Parts: sequence; structure tokens; C-alpha cells
Amino acid sequence: MIRAEGVVAASREVLGNGLVVIVRPNRSTRSVALHLALRAGAAFDRPDRPGTANLAARLLDHGAAGLSAQAIARDFDALGIAFLARARLDSLDVTLRLLSSHLPFALERLRALAAEPEFPESECDGERERVLNEIAEREQDTAARADECLAAALFPAGHPYHAPLLGTRESVAAIGRDDLVRFHTARCRPGRAVLVISGDVETDGALRLAGRLFGSWAERAGAAGHRKDEEAEEEAPLPDAPPPEGVRDIALPIPGKTQADIALGFVPAVRRRAADLQSVLVMNSVLGDFGMGGRLGNAIRERAGLAYYAHSYVWAGLGAGPIVVRAGVAPAGLRKAIDLMRRTIDAFLRTGARPGELRDSKQALASAIPGRFETNAGAAALLADCELQGLGHDYADRVPDLIAAVDRVAVTEAARRYLTPGRCVLVVAGPDLKNNALR
Amino acid sequence: MSARQPARRIVPRRARGALPGLRVTTLPNGLRVLLRPMRAAPLVSVWCWYAVGSRDERPGSTGISHWVEHMNFKGTKRIPKEDVTRQVELAGGVWNGYTWLDVTAYFETVQRDAFEAMLRLEASRMTECLHPRREVERERTVVISEMQGGENDPRTYLEREVTGTALQAHPYRWPTIGYLSDLKAITRDDLYSHYRAYYAPNNAVLVAAGDFDPGEALRLVRRHFGRIARRPEPPAVRTTEPEQSGERRVTVRRPSGAAYLHISWPAPATGDADFPALLVADGILAGAPSVNAWSAGRGRGPSKASRLYRAVVETGLASDIDTSVIPTRHPFLYSVQATASGKVDPARVEAAVLEEVQALANGRIEDDDLRRSKQQFLARHALEAESVTDVAHQLGFFETIGSHRLWLDLPERVERVTAEEVGRLAAVRLDALHRTVGTLFPAPAGTGR
Repeated sequence: MIRAEGVVAASREVLGNGLVVIVRPNRSTRSVALHLALRAGAAFDRPDRPGTANLAARLLDHGAAGLSAQAIARDFDALGIAFLARARLDSLDVTLRLLSSHLPFALERLRALAAEPEFPESECDGERERVLNEIAEREQDTAARADECLAAALFPAGHPYHAPLLGTRESVAAIGRDDLVRFHTARCRPGRAVLVISGDVETDGALRLAGRLFGSWAERAGAAGHRKDEEAEEEAPLPDAPPPEGVRDIALPIPGKTQADIALGFVPAVRRRAADLQSVLVMNSVLGDFGMGGRLGNAIRERAGLAYYAHSYVWAGLGAGPIVVRAGVAPAGLRKAIDLMRRTIDAFLRTGARPGELRDSKQALASAIPGRFETNAGAAALLADCELQGLGHDYADRVPDLIAAVDRVAVTEAARRYLTPGRCVLVVAGPDLKNNALR
Repeated sequence: MSARQPARRIVPRRARGALPGLRVTTLPNGLRVLLRPMRAAPLVSVWCWYAVGSRDERPGSTGISHWVEHMNFKGTKRIPKEDVTRQVELAGGVWNGYTWLDVTAYFETVQRDAFEAMLRLEASRMTECLHPRREVERERTVVISEMQGGENDPRTYLEREVTGTALQAHPYRWPTIGYLSDLKAITRDDLYSHYRAYYAPNNAVLVAAGDFDPGEALRLVRRHFGRIARRPEPPAVRTTEPEQSGERRVTVRRPSGAAYLHISWPAPATGDADFPALLVADGILAGAPSVNAWSAGRGRGPSKASRLYRAVVETGLASDIDTSVIPTRHPFLYSVQATASGKVDPARVEAAVLEEVQALANGRIEDDDLRRSKQQFLARHALEAESVTDVAHQLGFFETIGSHRLWLDLPERVERVTAEEVGRLAAVRLDALHRTVGTLFPAPAGTGR
């Protein structure tokens, strides 16, 4: 068992089957948060079956270990347990929030859902229809369309980050029970997972309980056969996407909408485990996060009054991703907002961060760490993510020192490396758009 | 501006409720103060609440409370604009504000060392905001942008239409964000007058939860708020919604990828004896009702054992279903919202929903239904009170709409609810005479506006 002190204050143990278990006691509450994260997000969908991870996650509680969907739902309801299973890009996350008196039951049930889902045919049909309906809704959603189109333009077809997380109408319609079983068998295994228990527990007892219930979680029958074709890619890093060739503008007209969503993405080259990640985060804070959205928010929202939101974020996971700038603006202000976006980025590249900006962003990022542990669920999510991304469960304790080491030169270098106005994709989804409206 | 007067005697009293260490005090200037020590993390959450929301607006000035909230991030006499959020973030904090039917709130959750700085910020925001004309004009388009972003969402649009149809007199009927014409017309003087009328200690609640000593915290609160002068009481809402005596219907056509259904019934106010029965009824229909407007829905999927989920989602009529019980000072609405599946006629979803509501009215309530609904509520009540931010929110929200006791006492009130009370509530309140049914159909391209 390895114990992290500091704000993390959690213990980590690896079971014989490879499952990482992290326990963070917080005896001041009556509740516990469980977070099981599996390296089984949408990035691990087969290229011809995007949407599989999402569908698999949503079906975990629709029948497992001999229990019907209704029996599972009734038990959760009867004990007031909040359950959610959702696929993200890199991970498939299952979370439960419960009163601590229900911990043994909840852990046992979590193990059943994660290890022995049955994906009954009738349940698959129903959930597939619900996802198709959601896809139809998203086709009329300016924000969703902008985000999905940006990903499709930055990452070539076949890349793990290319397709929408929900899948497409065609791919989801084609996903059958066999695809789900195959995906689960290959991807949802203890050696690819981390379980965090955070809240009103005692460390040794929680570790023992987790070991007893999850230690027997083994690969399902036939796993070896199913895994053969996935084996080669098993430990390989997600491939890099080629940088955009020049500047590409994409207009997605959605008639009848009142606001347009802008998404601007640069070279997808930011890595979560890269040595310069903290420099990138400090740079992003100055550019589009601090206060009302950093320099971008100041220019587009605070000074020009063009948008309710204008900010930037860093997309970095198991695979390399881009810096993304986002804003929602009225059609009349679209060109001006895009112009301000570009001018703000150009100015940042010319001058870098001012000493005061650098100091503020570094302090804000470093001092925000304790707040991430305010809730049991928040702590569990952060610890699971750090472990899954290969950063280590004690990462949050190391972040302040990593941030302290960032200087102005490092921020300038990060900006020049990852803010690439000559190689980027601009997507606008909204009413009355033509490509020439973007310039 | 902050008039100076000597602080008078403060008489603290300990609350009887289930929160150990909760200290409830009213300062001589009328400011209600709730302090709840929670020592699990070196954090403190400070919330300053004002009893002003869209209910305090009139036609011509809808949206003004929310716009004032935006303006109150633009700096004060003592705090430059950029420092309003900067000092919070430098303390590792998160901040935000929101405006709703009955309330406007501002909060900061920060490292404990910054507690006093947050009190200073909120005290200054209470009386010293400036609302410069240039900032007002910039924010006008920001607020309009926020409104238009909401309009892009067909669910939000339909909710607005149904609320405005279900309520015909009470000011809860207009959207908190306001109407476009009003947002274009409101002036700087309108905003500032609204601010001066409602931002006063005797119309506010100050809540802190976190890692502090309550005695020392109260001393700091007195230091920063004690000298702010009481102001004339803001006007009370006089309108009572007349009783509805027949079903109302509203049909909307907007660009959307699906058809949506939204059914509302007049709901009891939080202090009404029927409110706990509504929570239990909602638990049976949709599962796990929440009374936390801040964190509701976080980390929680649908209740798949609930009657409505089984009736409309499992059967393939709808792809999702949701309900809302909103704690309010005056009677508001209980609502059911659903997204019709594929080419399913929303009328079929409506029929299935109404059948389940009617079953409650007919008394089809088993002991197990009642037990499960109550257990879910009690668990959720506890789960939504574990963080300093949630606790401070809940204490302040309920104190502002009536009393924090409404929140602390809810578990006990819910536990006392009988099956007969749930059936009677459904029969009397959730009936055909009182409902408003809204449907949004996808509009052909180009006909949305």
C-alpha cells in the first residue's frame, strides 16, 4: 500500500488482477463516493463502430450477474443511491454516491455491473433508440455541432478522437449485442481500471472490502479470443493527428437558431503527461480562463459585449489534443468576435504573458487544488482521472511545485508550440451562415 | 451608500436543527447571518443572498434583477472591477452568482485564509456598486447573448411558453432572463434604482459554512456588515395567482431534433402543508426529488424504477423524462418534461404520463412506493449537504424564501407524509382542471423565426 499525504491523503493498492484501488477517508460526512474508471472510453471504439463505449456504459445497469434491469434500479432507488455510468473520450466512468451504511452493498453491486453486464437484446434495442433520438437532437444543437465538427476536422477519419462520442446514426444503428459484449470483454478489465472509494470509510477496512469483492474479478470467458485483434493496440499510445494544413473555416448553418457557436482549434499536440503540461495550463489560464475568461473573455465579453461566454480550454488526454477557443455570439457580432479572437491570440503570441498575469494564473492554479477535494465525488473523480491518465494518485500534491517552476519563457514557448494561427480549424454553427461570413 | 450607525446589541440564538454548531443571528440592521462550522477541509463558502428575483419585476423591466446581478461583478467604490473575481481565484476559489424566481445570490468558496476578504467583497457589493454607463451598455448585449443562447435550446423555449401560460397573473410567469424588448429598453438608472431598492441588509441573508470558529466569524461579519444602514423595506409581491379552472394548451414550432412535451400544474409553496406530499408524489412518479437548485442532477442518472420512466421511456414512447419540484415562497409549478422518441406523437407520451398521475389520484400507492420515495428523498437530502458550498447554499436559499428551518425540517415533514395525503394531493392539485400542456414540434428549416 502506498499512501499519499498532503491534500490527497489517500492510500493506493494494486490487487492481484491489476485493479488499482484508492481509498480516501473523509469521516466528516455520512456519505461515500465510488468511482470506477476504465480505460474504455470512446477512443477505444472500433473505427467502424463509434458509439460502442457510450452504449455499453448506458447498458451496464440494464441487466447484470443474473439481475434484471428493474431489480437493479429498484435496489438503487430503495437505498437512495445515485448511480451514473457514462463514457467519456478516454474512459468509461461508473459513479455511485451513497450513505456510508450502504457501502458493502454498493461495492458488491458495482462489481456485478462492471464485471458481469449481460446486455440483454431487448434492453440494447431500447437504449439504441434513445441514443439515436439524442443524436437527432444534437444535430440541431449549435454547441454540439461545433464541437463535433471541430473534432472531425482536427482528427482524421479512423483516429480515436475523430468520431462523435455518441456515434453516428449509421454506426449506432449497426451496433449489436455482440459488439457490446466484445467491447466489454476486451476493454472493461480490472487491469485497465481504477476504483476510488472516497468518504466516510476507514482505509484498511475499505481496502479489505474492495479486495474481497473485486479480487475475484477476472477476465470473462473468451476474453483471450476477443482480445487478439485488440492486443496489438492494447498498450500502444493513441496516435498523433497530423497538424492542420493551413487555415480551414467551416460554416454549419442551422436555420432558425438565435445564436452561433464558435469553436477554434489548433494543432492537436498537447499531451497530458508531457513535461510542459503545466506551462500550457498557465498559458491557457492567461489567454482564456482566469477571471471572466482571461484575455479572450476580456476582449470579447467584457470590452466588446459580444458574448455571454468566451474562453479557451486545453484538450489533453491519453492522446494529444488541441487548445480550443469557444464562444457563443449573436450572428450580427460573429465577424467581430472572430476578429477579436484572432487578434487576441496574435497579440499573446507577440508579447507573451505579462508578469502580473503570470503571477496571478500560477497562484490561482496552484491554490485551487484543495477545492477540488471539497466533495467526496469530486475527490474520487480527480484521483481516478490522475491514475487513469498515468499521472499517479499523488499528482495533485505535486502540482503546486510543478506550477511554481513555470516561468515566462516556458509560457511563451508553450504558446508558440500550441497556438498556431497558421494551422487551425475554425467552426461556426448557427443561423444564416456562409463560409465568407467568417472572414 | 453605506450609512454609518453604531452597531446595537446582537442576540445570537442557536438553531434547534440537525446541523451541529449552526449559529443563527440577526444584526440590528436586519441582516440575517447563518454560520455553520465544517472542519473537514481548509475551505470556507460565503454566500450573500438577496430577496429579489423575477417575482419583483414588472412588464417593461423583466430581466432587471438578473442584469443587476451581472452589473454587480463590475466593481464597487472600493473594489476595482478586475479584483472582484481576481481575489477569489487567487485564493484558490470558485465564484458565481445567480438570479431566479425569489432570489439573487453571490458566492465564493475559497481557502479559509481568504474568509475575511470575501466578507469585505460581499459587504461592498451590498451598497457600493457603481453601474457605470459604459459597462451597462456592454453588458446589455452580453445579457441578450445569454438569452439567445437559452432560446437555442428547444426545452428552455417550451418551458418559458408553458410557464407564461400556466401562470397568468403572478410575476413568476415571466422568464428570469427577461424579454428582448425589455432588455433593449432598460436604462442604467433603472438598474441602479432596482439595486438600491433591494440590496440592503434587511433584505439579505449572509451565510458562511466551512473551516472557521463561529465566534470569530461573527465578529468579522459584524465588522464588515454591522455598519451598513437598514433601508426602507422593498415592496412585497401583492398578486396571488387566481385559481385555474380548465386545462390550457400551448403549441410551439421551433427548429429541433425532436418533439418535446411539458406539463405543469400549480404547486404548493415550500411552507405549505402540502409541499412534503408533493415531494413524495414526485419520488413515486420520477424518483429522488431534489430541493437543491444548485447541485440537483449532478452525478445522477434517471430513476429507472420510477413509474414515469417505466411508462414512457421503457416503453419507447420517450427517450427521456424529467420532473421538477422547485422550492418557492409563493405557489409555483410542478412540471413533467419528456422528449418524444423518433416519430412518436407527443400526444401518446402525454396520455401515458397523465395515466400515471391519475393512478396516484386514484390511490394506487403501495407501502413500498411510499417507503422507497421517502428513503430516496432522505438520502438525497443528506448527499446534497456534504460540501461547504452545498450547505451554505441550502441554508441561504431557504432562509431567503422563508426560513432555513424549511430545509432542516423537510426530512421530518416528508417522513410524516401518508399515502392518503399523496393521493389527495394528486387528486386535488394534479388534475385536468389545473394542468397546462405544452408541446414543441420540430419546425421545417427556415421557419423558426
